[in-house]
Amino acid sequence: MSALAPTETITGQIAGVSPGLKRRRARAPRAAKHLRSNRTAYLMLAPMVILLAIFVVWPLIYAIYLSFFKISFYKGSEFVGLQYYMFVLQDPKFWNSLRVGIEFAAMVVPIGMVIALLIASFIKTLSKRMASFMKVTVYVPAVVSTVVASVLFLFMYQDQGVVNWFLSLLNAGPVAWLNNPGTALPAIAVPAIWLGLGITTLIMLAGLLDIPDSYYESAELDGAGFFKRTFYITIPLLKNILLYLFVTGFTGAIQMLDLPLVMTNGGPVNATTTPNLFIFNSFRAGTPYATSFSLTTALLLFVVLGLISVLVFRLINSDKAVDG
Amino acid sequence: MSTLTDTNTLSAAATPSPARGLRRGDRNRLLKLIGVILISISVLFPLAWMAIAGFKGKTEVLRSPFQFFPDMWDPKNYIAIIQDPQFSRAMLVTFGGALIFTALSLAINSMAAYALARLDFAFKRFWWVFCIMPMFVPGMAILLTSFVVVAQLGMLDTLAVLIIPGVASAVQMFFLRQFYLNMPVAVEEAALIDGASRWQIFTKIFIPQSAAVFVVVGIGSYMAYWNAYVWPILTITSPDLMQIQQFLGNFRSDRGNEWGLLMAGSTIAALPTIILVLFFQRYIVNGVRISGIK
Amino acid sequence: MHKRRNKAVAFAAAVVSTALVLTGCSAGGGTPTDGGTTNVTFWQQKFEDYQGVWFKKYVDEFNKSQDKVHVDYQVIPADTWAQKLQAAQAAGKQPDIATTNYGNIAAGVVNGQFAALDDYMPAESFSDIKENVASFVTIDGKHYAYPMLVEPSTVLYYNTDLVTAAGLDPNSPPTTWDELIDWSTKLTSGDVKGMTIASTAPDLGWSSWGLQYNACGHLPINDDWSKADATDPCFDKLLDFYKALYQGNLIPQQPKVGYADGSPYGNGEVAMMAGGSWVIGQLKNDFPDVLAKTQVAPFPSIDGDQTKPTATLGGWTLTLDSKSKNPQAAADFIQYLLAGDPAIMADFFKAAGYSKYTVRTSVDEALAADPDASADPFMQTISEKVVAYGKQEPGYPWDIALAMGTAIESAMKGTDTVEGSLATADAAINDVITKQGLAGTAPKK
Repeated sequence: MSALAPTETITGQIAGVSPGLKRRRARAPRAAKHLRSNRTAYLMLAPMVILLAIFVVWPLIYAIYLSFFKISFYKGSEFVGLQYYMFVLQDPKFWNSLRVGIEFAAMVVPIGMVIALLIASFIKTLSKRMASFMKVTVYVPAVVSTVVASVLFLFMYQDQGVVNWFLSLLNAGPVAWLNNPGTALPAIAVPAIWLGLGITTLIMLAGLLDIPDSYYESAELDGAGFFKRTFYITIPLLKNILLYLFVTGFTGAIQMLDLPLVMTNGGPVNATTTPNLFIFNSFRAGTPYATSFSLTTALLLFVVLGLISVLVFRLINSDKAVDG
Repeated sequence: MSTLTDTNTLSAAATPSPARGLRRGDRNRLLKLIGVILISISVLFPLAWMAIAGFKGKTEVLRSPFQFFPDMWDPKNYIAIIQDPQFSRAMLVTFGGALIFTALSLAINSMAAYALARLDFAFKRFWWVFCIMPMFVPGMAILLTSFVVVAQLGMLDTLAVLIIPGVASAVQMFFLRQFYLNMPVAVEEAALIDGASRWQIFTKIFIPQSAAVFVVVGIGSYMAYWNAYVWPILTITSPDLMQIQQFLGNFRSDRGNEWGLLMAGSTIAALPTIILVLFFQRYIVNGVRISGIK
Repeated sequence: MHKRRNKAVAFAAAVVSTALVLTGCSAGGGTPTDGGTTNVTFWQQKFEDYQGVWFKKYVDEFNKSQDKVHVDYQVIPADTWAQKLQAAQAAGKQPDIATTNYGNIAAGVVNGQFAALDDYMPAESFSDIKENVASFVTIDGKHYAYPMLVEPSTVLYYNTDLVTAAGLDPNSPPTTWDELIDWSTKLTSGDVKGMTIASTAPDLGWSSWGLQYNACGHLPINDDWSKADATDPCFDKLLDFYKALYQGNLIPQQPKVGYADGSPYGNGEVAMMAGGSWVIGQLKNDFPDVLAKTQVAPFPSIDGDQTKPTATLGGWTLTLDSKSKNPQAAADFIQYLLAGDPAIMADFFKAAGYSKYTVRTSVDEALAADPDASADPFMQTISEKVVAYGKQEPGYPWDIALAMGTAIESAMKGTDTVEGSLATADAAINDVITKQGLAGTAPKK
């Protein structure tokens, strides 16, 4: 509940929020209800709303409308109702791609976050100059486009590429990383983690730097080891960061297209066909069936993503996600 | 007597005797240096390979067994790329477009974020949902229909078509709003008492304080614009407006890629962004810290 | 208060006007008709670089030679071709002329996408087309595309040096599948694999058509497209063949490039390859040393019968969009480029290093007079032994080809047995037939 009593006058204000409550009460700093705020607010909101309306919301509505038709650009579209939704939902490859997407995200996001946390912890202990160097180094992979990154790792995974060369030093046989149904998806997860490392590490680092060292010192004096310190101090205090990174990482990973497209083209035997790749491939035939099918699949993906995100948001503190 | 220059307060708290402190300090420094080197190598290795591959001949890049260094360091790919006017033009246009895109996106998204964070107005809840919902719309779902829209608006083959449709970003607005929600109210209240308008509070208080957050969000916008591939291909046909990823994409083909040129081109194309990151890196971490996402 | 509101309004206006200014920053697009000259757009899907050079040369010449029609030529990358074309169709901005694969013609005609060229081009242009190719572009007696070339999808390439070193005779290449496996085994040593062939479902989908015909005399669907036929036992042998190559470690376990790219062979990583005829062009341009040691042969037949098809005749045409606003002008360009002076097409085949094959008798005659053409060691072998027996690519939806390709891949990599993989494909194909309403729609032969 707000500690503020809203007033109607422009000048009379009661700033009754105590500093300690500031962080928790995201909804608390509500200034007085200005009826005149309407105009300013609408003017400030207008560019975004107008742009979203024209370029996202309207195309979305139009796309949903089209999804009830068998789309032909030459013969006039034929109304078919929910037929394509049925087609997509009945297609085992659609469900396979969802499974692949979720498995892929499940690999990339947690592992990426753990590695980022470890590297961030390490950077925290470095001198200023080394820390700056590391911060830039870790961010640089993000600069490379996903297509080029895919090509780079494709070469590294080759029969006689770097990875197998490394294995040969350990006397292990060459592995067909990308052509083996069991290893293909994990193999693709590696460049995904590599690309996302930069921003994730930096965000984690920011969070770590905010944790007072005194917490760690007293814990160490009490005899807590590294893992105990991490579990009982670091992770709880980073909770919001971890959740934010998890949500954005998850939605990003499940929509991955370039990596499987360039590295495996969805193979072997659809083991790496992520949802967007499935949509992309369905599009290829260029027939009315293909166009309608891939459009409907994309809309169903939107529904799935929305549901997952709503679910995750509910798990987070509600005052982070929704305006009170 | 060496003084420990690292920020590890734990080891400082241990306060060993000077002789032992030296050794432990040095050993720590050495271990950290090794750590830095190891991490840097694993992270930068693919990029180093890319840069070096630019010096290889077309068929050499692909050759097995894997070889890191070229037989002969031939700069012809790099020279060809640098001398290609199309490449320079694509770099300029993309860079310019990215800057305009970033500036506009910061302006538009921060205004909306402020309004949703700080102002009270009719139907606020509805507009919030309206603005946040596009985050979940996959690009593929609206690819065709948004193309129809921009075609009907006559925007095809202009710089506008690359900038305007994507400039309002739900994700960035969300991040900025988070920051604004956590700005201290006291200064704002004082300003209101002095008769400042909401708009003035925004421009004179919030924006100056947003510098660091703007860097975080700005770099995100910049990267999104810079790496765009499919949308420019759909909408841009004139060689004068070709974007850099389009240009690099021309080196790839089903029937034999121009690997050397692709690697050299990608390396050079990455440079401006790396320089930007170098310049702004200290703001990135600060920006996240004060954004209140914690 | 007025000041505050004005400032907000001013700012919003600034944003909007920046946007408008940017809209104005166009690259100067052309108008459909510029004082008498008709503009037509031509989109070419990106193939080899030399094709782009050749197209540009003749587009420029066409544009210079007259001022009634101006052709606006664009090259579109293959990976975004489908999206770009369909987005353009959705917005009514599709090109007048586009490169189209033989396999896509039937579906395009059903969809009403292509205009019949007979209305715009003289009859002699069509009678000049070679007999076997004419049926590729004719539906119900009308021509919906003008063919440019054929390139057989599967030819056997082998490196004579490596072959001789393994104690095999380069002048009697393998003629049966078993012999091929035998050769591959003998040629696999050290880092070099004996053979390479497609191993991913999308590549297998189309590159195995020839071998599907070879093994069974038909594709995994019946003649009027009403029922799948993937469980025909003759397909078992096809899958066993691919499986033997992959699991016997006779082909690279991870392809670094697609089937259409001959670089691994050019780099000496494999001793033999199954590839389309276009690989010759790539070898000539990028791997001349290996080219000198290369011989070609028709791909082995399941039982050694060399008159059975082993390759399908893929290739490209130019099509005229049915909604084109300037069909006659566009057709004039197609007439000029593909159906006109045979020297123009002869130039194309020369630029391609004779790795592609003609579709017009007049162009054949033009090439017969070209000493380089007659001297080419590969052209004759491929025309006589591969193209002569090649089959047309099927016009059914890609999903069917992909289902079969997935079956082959699944057997190769061991995710399912041969019978299981084919059963899955059979079910998938029947599903496609139902959902896409294919029964009875097969083009009449």
